[in-house]
Amino acid sequence: MAQLAMNRPEVIQSLIDGVDRYNPDNISILEEYLATQCQNEEYDLMANLAALKLYQFNPHLTNDRVIINILAKALTAVPAPDFNLCLYLLTEPMIIDESIKQLTALHQLLEQSRYAKFWETYKSDSAYEQLVSEVRGFSRAIRSIVARVVSMTHQQIASSLLESYLDLSGDDFAAFVKEQNWELKGAIVQIPVNKDNEAKTVVIRENIKFEQLTKVIGYSNEM
Amino acid sequence: MYHDNYEEDDLAAEVELVTSAQYPQDADVDDGFDSEGVVSSQKQPIAVEIPDTIKNFITYFHRNVLENNIYELHTLYEVTFNKLTDRFYAKQPWPEAELISPLVDDDQVFLTLYRELYYRHIYARLSPSIQDRFHSYENYCDLFNYILNSDFPVNLELPNQWLWDIIDEFIYQFQSFCNCRNRIKNRSEEEIALLRDNPQIWSCYSVLNVLYSLIQKSRINEQLLVNKNGGDMLEAAGEYGSRPLYKMLGYFSIIGLLRVHCLLGDYTLALKMMDNIELNKKALFSRVIPCHVTTYYYVGFSYLMMRRYADAIRAFSTVLTFIQRTKQYHTRSYQFDQIAKKCDQMYALLAMCIALCPTRLDENIHNHLREKYGDQLAKMQKGEDSISVYEDLFQYACPKFISPNGPNFDDPASLSQVNEPYQHHAKIFLSDIHNQTMIPTLRSFLKLYTTMSIDKLAAFLEMDADELRTQLLMFKQRSRQQKWITGNLLEGDIVSTSDLDFCIKQDMIHIAESKVGRRYGDWFLRNITRFQDVIATLEHKN
Repeated sequence: MAQLAMNRPEVIQSLIDGVDRYNPDNISILEEYLATQCQNEEYDLMANLAALKLYQFNPHLTNDRVIINILAKALTAVPAPDFNLCLYLLTEPMIIDESIKQLTALHQLLEQSRYAKFWETYKSDSAYEQLVSEVRGFSRAIRSIVARVVSMTHQQIASSLLESYLDLSGDDFAAFVKEQNWELKGAIVQIPVNKDNEAKTVVIRENIKFEQLTKVIGYSNEM
Repeated sequence: MYHDNYEEDDLAAEVELVTSAQYPQDADVDDGFDSEGVVSSQKQPIAVEIPDTIKNFITYFHRNVLENNIYELHTLYEVTFNKLTDRFYAKQPWPEAELISPLVDDDQVFLTLYRELYYRHIYARLSPSIQDRFHSYENYCDLFNYILNSDFPVNLELPNQWLWDIIDEFIYQFQSFCNCRNRIKNRSEEEIALLRDNPQIWSCYSVLNVLYSLIQKSRINEQLLVNKNGGDMLEAAGEYGSRPLYKMLGYFSIIGLLRVHCLLGDYTLALKMMDNIELNKKALFSRVIPCHVTTYYYVGFSYLMMRRYADAIRAFSTVLTFIQRTKQYHTRSYQFDQIAKKCDQMYALLAMCIALCPTRLDENIHNHLREKYGDQLAKMQKGEDSISVYEDLFQYACPKFISPNGPNFDDPASLSQVNEPYQHHAKIFLSDIHNQTMIPTLRSFLKLYTTMSIDKLAAFLEMDADELRTQLLMFKQRSRQQKWITGNLLEGDIVSTSDLDFCIKQDMIHIAESKVGRRYGDWFLRNITRFQDVIATLEHKN
């Protein structure tokens, strides 16, 4: 849910808001919408969950490729819990399917922030690339997840480490750093201070609301 | 209160009770799984005499339903019915509707309402057979058809508590059916045939259809919007929605959908159902205590599953505080046991949330939590075989998940596979928890320092530096959560939910802890009140 679909078409909006979402005839609309998301590097969790819901109620409609695409899309939303929210709508026999198991393995690595291991696994078998092949800009999306987490956590990071997190090197790496407005200083990448990576001590002060005082004000009236 | 002596005594006495032949003596089918009943469903002996007390009760009950006498119905429904159940029908069903039909002039509406109670009692105290389940479903269809498919709003008023119980029980029986349908081992062929030939009974679509129809008929969402934004309530409510019966059934159906979607594992949709309901003391759900408790339980649980721990904590602690404050009212209620159980489950869920997202709780709630789940909480906070603790608590406190589709009877291979939705949910949930088991330990170390090198901390923790780095990245991510600020329950901003924050500069960790300043105001306010009490006592003595 981190990325809200800003340009959700009206058709889809009214579909997921009303009882029409249960109408099996609408599955094709949701499937096409997913295809558009994959094409245009957009993401709309609510619509995709509505598609999974229709599969949940009408198992005969289930389209494995669509489920794979939805899950691959959800991978690009980490650290939001979207991937699991999709899994909950599937069934036990479905999630032990080989493709879904592979996607789940990738998801676990991302959740655990084992980025170097993620890329290693991802490239170890062409099956993985095949799974996410319909999601345009998949690698780019994963890299921006890494960038977000790294910039939340670090002010400075060794460039060799960052390279392994991003699976980039040389000019590509330099270009990526520049694109993020980070600074490459020798063997170190400098990340500007933001609200998540500054670690400042805050004293939380008590905030007294008017309602808390009503009783006391009441006493003063009695006097 | 209910009196044993009615004027109608003679009326009841006139009724003949020859019932022998009408009763189908079907075999005593026990599906042997439901834990809700200890005694198996014993059909009544033939030609049983209905005690006079019961006859009188039924005629009196009937008259009050006809007269829409809400006040009296309230007592009859909540108190008398349960008292009589304990006295006469603790171990056997109430008389069948056909037997009491002469007492109530064959009033079909009343008989439908009566059957609703009749089956609910079987579910609660005995164990329902497949036939009972089917008949109960058909009875619900009759009831809802009567309410929904009439040319004018029906002239019927029932206490809110009863209306809530109807929706609540309808969903409970649906859930119970889904769970029992999947256990086809040890079932007779006849039963399997019944299940196979009647897929429409208790199907997901039909249950959702009822709930959505009630919402639409009552125009409850339109009413809630007017309530929130202003406007013409009468126009929004329409002919049906302005009747309390429709309005409340519509409202309770929203809460019902929250629950159904949660049982199906669709947590976002569950919370989306609540779009027009604001969680506050003025909300309609607070008029019926079990509804109030149910609402917060499912909202909190959905948040927990969406990893929005801070919101889950808020939901649970709000309702637990409420239950504590109103204890004296519901200890007497016939639903006390149920509320107490839900309450206990919510403490278990709260313990998990607190371990996952350390938060200061209200003092009272915190003490109760430590009393009930102190050991478990300590284990989860230390990260020592915490997974098994999470598993136990989850199993105890989660709702009874359902799978929407029955077994595929045409495929013998799939019949042997037990499709257990609980396993599915627990597996996903626990694998997510598993990723964060190191966080409490990490946290306890970071709390001790303001700066520390990665290598040193790694040595303390007996892990290698790379592993520690990934743990730190995860710690950071898990300390940021979506949290509700205003608007719909699904909305929220990403905020930091931890009092401990850090940043990494190359190989050094810089740590900062937020501190809570002293709460002077709170202290003074409490003591002013105490002082005022002392003065009041002194003045009283003079």
